[in-house]
Amino acid sequence: MKARAYSTLALLLALVLVGCQSGGGGITPGQIFGGMMGVNPSDVRGASTDIDEPEEIELGRSVATALGSRYKLLRDDALTRYVALVGNAVALQSDRPDLKYYFGVLDSDEINAFAAPGGYVFITRGTLAVMRDEATLAGVLGHEVGHIALRHHVETIKDQKKAAVSKGIGTTALQIGSGFIPGIGGAVTSGVVNSPLMNLAADGVVNLTLKGFSRAEEEQADMVGFKYATRAGYDPAGLRDFLKAVQDTSGQPGKTGLFTKWGSTHPGGPERLKEQENQLKTAQAGGRRAAARFETAMGTAAKPAAQPASPGQPARPAQPTR
Amino acid sequence: MKRTTIAISLLVGVVTAPMAAETTRWVERTKVDIRAGRGSFYEIVDTVLKGEQVEILKTEDKWASVKTARAKTGWVYEAALKATPVQPGTSDFLKSAPGDTATSRTAASQGAKGVYAQGYAKEKGYDYGIVTWVESHQPDGPQIETFLKDPGEKSGGAK
Repeated sequence: MKARAYSTLALLLALVLVGCQSGGGGITPGQIFGGMMGVNPSDVRGASTDIDEPEEIELGRSVATALGSRYKLLRDDALTRYVALVGNAVALQSDRPDLKYYFGVLDSDEINAFAAPGGYVFITRGTLAVMRDEATLAGVLGHEVGHIALRHHVETIKDQKKAAVSKGIGTTALQIGSGFIPGIGGAVTSGVVNSPLMNLAADGVVNLTLKGFSRAEEEQADMVGFKYATRAGYDPAGLRDFLKAVQDTSGQPGKTGLFTKWGSTHPGGPERLKEQENQLKTAQAGGRRAAARFETAMGTAAKPAAQPASPGQPARPAQPTR
Repeated sequence: MKRTTIAISLLVGVVTAPMAAETTRWVERTKVDIRAGRGSFYEIVDTVLKGEQVEILKTEDKWASVKTARAKTGWVYEAALKATPVQPGTSDFLKSAPGDTATSRTAASQGAKGVYAQGYAKEKGYDYGIVTWVESHQPDGPQIETFLKDPGEKSGGAK
């Protein structure tokens, strides 16, 4: 009885608040009921599945929170700024240099890096430990920026939206004023109930980010990442060196587990390495490695996983020759 | 008589219509940030909405220095502009965003100021703190500018 009274009160309050905000003509009681059931009839008809940049940014933030639930963020101010400096140098040369990029380091020995839509890039401490200079970092960040610049998430978001719309799931968040109103589905923050569709799109992108892109998309990101890092003045061999280091180190005793996720989120390792070798044949030699700056910036943050796997066997690869 | 009226109306229309200069461009995206320098890491000086006009002052390496309707000058990536008029409009997403975000010139790079992502995090039981921390610990424009000029071969360059 009490729950029913709450629901009635919530409905009436929602009607009043929506009426106030929309001037009385915006949202109909039918839409309110639809919203409560996760269905907004007017949205299902002709709902747009286009994505604009502000929406992409919100989805990127959502993915970041999901990553934060699986990995601990390394709250190292100096290291984060350094990774972001290299990342921005590369992103400035990307196909979306006008997008604001954010870079973060995850406190994990695991070898992995993630690109979320809207410009959010995360790299693990373990990945940094496999590197030995800035050119390698630029190569890996260039690859992750490539996924964002090529909008690899957008098709997944669109597919997710299309599937949701075909199932009759509403697209629009209901603005209901401040405070929580029980009885209406969805999360409430600052007076906004997230649309089920928006949350489904976020779920889809979280899933994509954690599981990884297709092999074709990985290769595309390699191609453009190579280009971005080179344009930024780095030795174009950076990404090749990283892929080689992953290949060489992953077979070492006790190290295999750290590379498992990398292999699943970044498929086609050997083929990608081969393709990088091919790209290097026609690339102009030179470019900076900035090994000293990289070593300084790493400080102690990446050191634990960088220790030799066994005596006389360095975790970081020897200088590859081109 | 009717033809004369139409002709006069057309003439008046032509004379009074705002003349678009060669340097006029129209914003093609829902929201675009105008920045103090040629890069996404520079300070935002203005935000323009789809269909708004800007005047090109000069172009450099795919970036255009523009003057907005509010007489603010800054840089915008050329791909966000079009040489022919664009109908004003917003996206479904911004229509459903909270009032300030949807209707004002709140920076495009702020998305919907995190309200959707916060809602998502709350629903899933995730901590939004990771976003807040990362967004507030990025280098600013001058720091990136200094970094870009330093080849970094000497130890300590990143500090």
